[in-house]
Amino acid sequence: MTKDEHIITRRDFMRGAAAAALAAAVGFPTEAVAAAGEKSRVVLIRDPAVLDGKGKIDPSVLGHMLDEAAAKLLGKNRAAAAWKSLVKPTDMVGIKSNVWARLPTPPELEEIIRQRVVAAGVPASKVFCDDRGSLDKFRASTALINVRPARTHHWSGMGGCIKNYIIFSPKPSQHHPDSCASLATVWDLPVVKGKTRLSILVLLTPQFYGRGAHSFDPRYLWDYKGLAVSLDPVAVDAVGAHILRTKRVRHFGEDKPITPTTHIAVADRKYHLGVSDLSRIELIKLGWTKDALI
Amino acid sequence: MARRGSTVRNMKCTAFFLMLCLCLLLEGCEDRFMTGLIPEELGGWKADGQDGIYDRKTLYDYIDGAAEVYLAYDFQQVLARRFVKFDQPAITADIFHMRSSEDAYGIFSFEREAGDVGIGQDSEYAAGFLRFWKGKFFVSVLADRETPASREAVMGIGRAIADKIKPDGARPKILTFLPPKDLIPTSIRYFHQKSGLDYHYFVADKNVLGLDEKTDAVLAQYKMGKSKARLLIVGYPNANSAATAFDTFMKAYMPEARDTGVTQTENGEWAAAQVRGSFVMAVFDAPSREKADGLIQAAIAKLEVEDE
Repeated sequence: MTKDEHIITRRDFMRGAAAAALAAAVGFPTEAVAAAGEKSRVVLIRDPAVLDGKGKIDPSVLGHMLDEAAAKLLGKNRAAAAWKSLVKPTDMVGIKSNVWARLPTPPELEEIIRQRVVAAGVPASKVFCDDRGSLDKFRASTALINVRPARTHHWSGMGGCIKNYIIFSPKPSQHHPDSCASLATVWDLPVVKGKTRLSILVLLTPQFYGRGAHSFDPRYLWDYKGLAVSLDPVAVDAVGAHILRTKRVRHFGEDKPITPTTHIAVADRKYHLGVSDLSRIELIKLGWTKDALI
Repeated sequence: MARRGSTVRNMKCTAFFLMLCLCLLLEGCEDRFMTGLIPEELGGWKADGQDGIYDRKTLYDYIDGAAEVYLAYDFQQVLARRFVKFDQPAITADIFHMRSSEDAYGIFSFEREAGDVGIGQDSEYAAGFLRFWKGKFFVSVLADRETPASREAVMGIGRAIADKIKPDGARPKILTFLPPKDLIPTSIRYFHQKSGLDYHYFVADKNVLGLDEKTDAVLAQYKMGKSKARLLIVGYPNANSAATAFDTFMKAYMPEARDTGVTQTENGEWAAAQVRGSFVMAVFDAPSREKADGLIQAAIAKLEVEDE
């Protein structure tokens, strides 16, 4: 530490001072005064019918949710028009999902996205869905749809849309220090830079707290029955992180310790990948509102 | 001269080859030893597929997100075995071999929540998830879903592993400096590095306490009426390191208390800190000056008794 280095301590939080700087430092959610500039739009849609009593997904309800959210996000009257504004027939579209065994991107949702992209005019042969498979396919892609479930993550605080691209890094572990603060730099790699057309944070059964080597404990999944979609991966993750934290506080009566979601605020303030302050996010809520937590 | 040089080179090659063989042999022995700790079958659950064996370099391939926690505790190797049974949830048993029993305890303490269930040296079970430590091993047995049968199998697999691990291991000595009065046993966290402290109690964004792999730290909660105060004790390699860390911490966290060692923080609670020899002690969130000071003094008294 240098003599002049500014140190942010827990007491700064107690004082409530410099909220934005603190949020950037440790990723605690903030309602700081909005800075000048455009807001990022996030559409949060929920439907109690998307899961049955056994947790089985109803694909038709899920498809309707995604269509309605995409149309609202892009200001279109019809979902088809929204999808056509996202991809071109000449695109090679990669659907970047997440295969984490205990809470993967639902295959039903992967299939719905694939169908929508094809319906928008992209040949089926030019649409693929993958996570840790062929990097060459992602290199060849011209458009990406980023889709994964929200869950707490041992080292980054939350596994969300920003982190979903870590697999594109030549050395993923290099992003682990300081609560994965540098995750947004992955988005600058040629394999993904400028390609992402839509970020979908799956909130059907998010995980608000994790334990153990695998950071998984079924007690901490809950049926939220939602999707959050945005053109801004930082904004959609900020919304997701807020929902997970609120659920944690509600469940435990206090905010249990987890690694702070530093990378979301840093992605905004240092790497300018998107917007992390909730006050600068235009959140549009559709559908079921009970216990929305935001 | 040329022949002599060639002979020396040959000897060096032979020595290198023998060392390589020895390393591979030892590694193979360790793999077999680890494999022998886990049953092949229990209660109808049978080992499924090949075991996974991961070391410090490959742990990231197995654990998504928590590998650094284990590496910070000087993890050496993990053996993972998956068990399956028809119409029942799968069970995954992971045996983590740590360099020391103290670190095996440390990784157990990292997220301990519940009371002991009598397996290994300390253990807990909830919702299909058994965690325990014994000797230099930390063990996790996790059912994908809890059913009465999977619960029984998880506990059975855990017991079978614990029975094979011998001998018991020593707990970190720094735990003995925790005053027992009002201590919440399940809240004890033992760690080395800043990341461990950040996870449990964020103090500052910079490493103001100089925590690293050479420091031993324990953080524990104490019941004080409706409040829960935290006591942090950090052991440094020497008194100079402790004095430097104490100075940095005081300047950063409680500069107004440089002389008294006690201050009221902005949340209305009290913090206190002291340095004694190679140890720094700090109390956070005590409900009164007397309680903060009392806890620090109790820790100092324990330290003086135990460290003699």
